[in-house]
Amino acid sequence: MKEPLLGSFKAKPEPGEHRLGPIQEIHVPMRKYSQDEEVDFCIVGVGSAGGVLLQRLARAGFRVVGLEAGPFWNTERDWVSDEAGSYKLYWNDLRITGGKNPLALGANNSGHGVGGGSVHWAGFTPRFHPSDFRVCSRDGVGVDWPISYWDLKPYYALLEKEMPVAGPAYYPWGDPHGYTYGPHPTAGVSNVLVNGCTRLGIGVSIGGPVAINSGSHADRPHCIYRGFCIQGCKVGAKQSTLVSHVPDAINYGAEIRDNCMVSRIEMGPQGRVTGVTYYDPDKKEARQKARVVIVCGYAIETPRLLLNSACPGWEQGLANSSGTVGKYLMAQAGNVVMGRFDELIRMYKGPPANSLTEEFYETDPKHDFARGFAVQTVGPLPIAFAKQMMVAKGAWGWGLRRVMMDYNHWAPLGVLGEILPWEDNTVTLAEEKDQFGLPVARVTFNLHDNDRKLINFATKKVEDILIAAGAREVVQEQRYAHLVGACRMGSDPKTSVVDGFGQSHDIPNLFVCDGSILPTQGSANPGLTIQALAARTADYLISERENILEGRPFSRISPPVRHDLSPEGTSGRGVPRLKGTALKVK
Amino acid sequence: MAQALSNEKRRRLAGGTVENRSSGLAGLIEETLPKAIIRDTTIVEQHIREGQFQRSLALVTGFSSLLGGLEVAYEHYRGSYSQRIMYTPVVLSGLLALVGIWGAFNRRVARRLLPVVSGVMGLDAVVGFIFHVRGIARKPGGWRIPVFNLIMGPPVLAPLLLAISGFLGMVTAFLRQEEDLGLDRQTTQSYGSSNAKPNSSRLTPWGVSHEALTLEQDIREGYFQRGMALAAALSALCSGFEALYSHYKNNYKYKIQWTPIVLTPLLFAAGIGTIWSRKIAHTLLPIISVLAILNGAVGAFFHLRGILRRPGGAKHPIYNILYGAPILAPLLFAASGFMGLLASLLRRRD
Ligand SMILES: Cc1cc2nc3c(=O)[nH]c(=O)nc-3n(C[C@H](O)[C@H](O)[C@H](O)COP(=O)(O)OP(=O)(O)OC[C@H]3O[C@@H](n4cnc5c(N)ncnc54)[C@H](O)[C@@H]3O)c2cc1C
Ligand code: SF4
Repeated sequence: MKEPLLGSFKAKPEPGEHRLGPIQEIHVPMRKYSQDEEVDFCIVGVGSAGGVLLQRLARAGFRVVGLEAGPFWNTERDWVSDEAGSYKLYWNDLRITGGKNPLALGANNSGHGVGGGSVHWAGFTPRFHPSDFRVCSRDGVGVDWPISYWDLKPYYALLEKEMPVAGPAYYPWGDPHGYTYGPHPTAGVSNVLVNGCTRLGIGVSIGGPVAINSGSHADRPHCIYRGFCIQGCKVGAKQSTLVSHVPDAINYGAEIRDNCMVSRIEMGPQGRVTGVTYYDPDKKEARQKARVVIVCGYAIETPRLLLNSACPGWEQGLANSSGTVGKYLMAQAGNVVMGRFDELIRMYKGPPANSLTEEFYETDPKHDFARGFAVQTVGPLPIAFAKQMMVAKGAWGWGLRRVMMDYNHWAPLGVLGEILPWEDNTVTLAEEKDQFGLPVARVTFNLHDNDRKLINFATKKVEDILIAAGAREVVQEQRYAHLVGACRMGSDPKTSVVDGFGQSHDIPNLFVCDGSILPTQGSANPGLTIQALAARTADYLISERENILEGRPFSRISPPVRHDLSPEGTSGRGVPRLKGTALKVK
Repeated sequence: MAQALSNEKRRRLAGGTVENRSSGLAGLIEETLPKAIIRDTTIVEQHIREGQFQRSLALVTGFSSLLGGLEVAYEHYRGSYSQRIMYTPVVLSGLLALVGIWGAFNRRVARRLLPVVSGVMGLDAVVGFIFHVRGIARKPGGWRIPVFNLIMGPPVLAPLLLAISGFLGMVTAFLRQEEDLGLDRQTTQSYGSSNAKPNSSRLTPWGVSHEALTLEQDIREGYFQRGMALAAALSALCSGFEALYSHYKNNYKYKIQWTPIVLTPLLFAAGIGTIWSRKIAHTLLPIISVLAILNGAVGAFFHLRGILRRPGGAKHPIYNILYGAPILAPLLFAASGFMGLLASLLRRRD
């Protein structure tokens, strides 16, 4: 190879250097706690929520250990910009699926490794609407949240700065607001969405909101529009807690033990948990004592762990006196509608998450169903596209080959429809065991009448958009996206597992903080809300410092918002934003 | 230029001479245009030749700074103002635009405030240039993959383009106002004696060393063709280089995208050539400059059309201006042409 102009790029990695992108590195040696030492917090799962919690609690001076079942990625070494080569970003262990409308489990569902689902998410980060928190009182379906949009709003704004989120300076839906970073340029699929919507008079948000840098952000470069976001973004432009919060957490003394699978949470004598048992990287059992345990394992693994931790006195599983652990699991309707265009679309170019419309988000009395949906750009790479075409067109063999040769002419748009929380959609324990001998999760999923009507309407609407944009042929695949629920929060201990801060109703020093605590899901992608909830829970825990350290009961008072806990390099960046409250448009 | 017209009589009375009128562009104009227009252009030309166009150049400074400011405002918005320093050129351009326009009406502002703001603008442009160079260095591969990173990284010469309005503002500060006739007689007479005391009504923007005085005097009297031509050449180079790689991003899809690329070296050569050759200053320079101005106008039209043709078109104006063809960039190219034209009308000392 020819020598580059100024010599070779970088000499061999220095020992102990941990790389998180072309210019981001972690240098400090990580703090190590001994297993006998009782730490303040043990966090199970360093994913979207876990990463944010870890960082904030460490910054506030607590002794925190994060146990993560997957690896601590060295992104320069471990990640590849390749669809097939990125399977290891997912939770690939055995899971059993069932019900009348079984969810496709396996890859493409939940993350495995530090950063969790935020490593492979597309990065769409719309906020929930104020109405999402009052679904039952407004529309008579689902359930109300124990908190309101306004409780969460400051944390939305905070996380949008920390990630940071790129999007328009004025975003009209829900509680109107603007974004810290400017919107992204569009590629082929976004152009189709924008054209279609504009021709039908539907409002559309172009170039965001997405947690992808549109300008460089401290030591994280801006997006280079190569489109491997779901494969992990080697560049570091897309936010994952691995690149946005974990480096700061380690700087402030948090310990992350990777490849450590937590098998059970230990109950102590006074109705309090005492720590966790886990399998270390050599698959040997180990323990970690902690004053507070926070489970952040996501919608399937969190209920599984609580159920697997059943012990005398807690035969139904921990924190499950209500019997709701594992119930009210939700997934969003994620139908992908694809249009074939004469011109080249090149769906692989640029981040799949780019533009969306929330014009149909709210309940519309003209419709025969409650709640609504969003329409978003998606961009399956060839393997995912082949699977979709197999389902959508029944393409196989030579026919599939022919369709695949047409890949660059197809524009896919995703429905993101709200499916309501139903009691019969559950996570339970199966007979089958995983590599550690732990019972695996069985996931049961059924659609109900409202869900089916909503999905039908939504897919027709997306077809209209594609046809308005000039599609010659339109096909669709029924899919689901974004698992949430199964350990829902609520004010009533009889119908929910945790309260608005993630504290379990039954066990005061056991918290759950991840996607599983969402009572309803709106038609916004859940990642931003999950991370914002984690920041709020962290503020609560920090404000309860004395009670935690002395083992007293918690006050359950809303904490003040801590603006000083953001990761290094958050402040002093970004565009002036329009604060929407006064400008509210219908 | 109504002001200029009413001054014609005063000028005649004061005995202002018009030398060498029939050369170059002026000659061409004389032959082809009706009398009334010729009279007006003659006055304008004379004002320029004698450095009596402080008001006009202050306006031009203000306007070009406004263009540059808007351009950098949305370009940096694309970069999300991810560093606080990215606000400085926006704020400074806005300030320079205001001061420029104010300076057109107020001599004190033009002489005192304008050069200060212009100087800061120039400094900021250099700082910006350094940051852009660093920005490219920070991209994967940095300066080892110069072509790719120049194209994909921050526009390396764009900050220097902003320095041009700073330069114009600086020049403005030294000029005389259009109606300053009595004054310039006096100063012209005192010119040449090295210890001549500056006229009492003359405000010296800074130091009074001999060289500075001479240079200042030259500018006051319109003897700075070389300087202006050089500035035009550099400005053309910066803006042409921008066109080169921006159009490259679009794969030169339209043939017309080549035109600024072709004109840039010509304008550059004409500007540089003017330093040595009076002939070039009166022939090539004005012709290429006019072409550059026209090209800028045509470019602005095509860029606007490009924006309207984007998905969503006029329904999403802010987004489409942000990511469409840079609507103001061709006008900045035209500004280089304007400076070239100005240079060709100025005087020089041999
Ligand atoms: C393809 C794809 C695209 C997506 N795109 C978007 C999007 O654009 N926008 C959006 O908002 N959301 C998106 N999501 C959803 C989003 O990724 C998740 O909702 C979110 O990451 C969930 O966060 P969490 O903190 O609840 O869990 P996770 O981030 O999944 O974290 C859970 C972590 O816990 C670990 N863990 C679990 N059990 C144990 C145990 N017993 N012991 C130790 N560790 C354990 C896991 O390894 C994992 O790292 C997408 C999801 C997928 C699959
Ligand atoms: S397109 Fe942008 S966000 Fe996606 S992987 Fe590439 S650099 Fe990362």
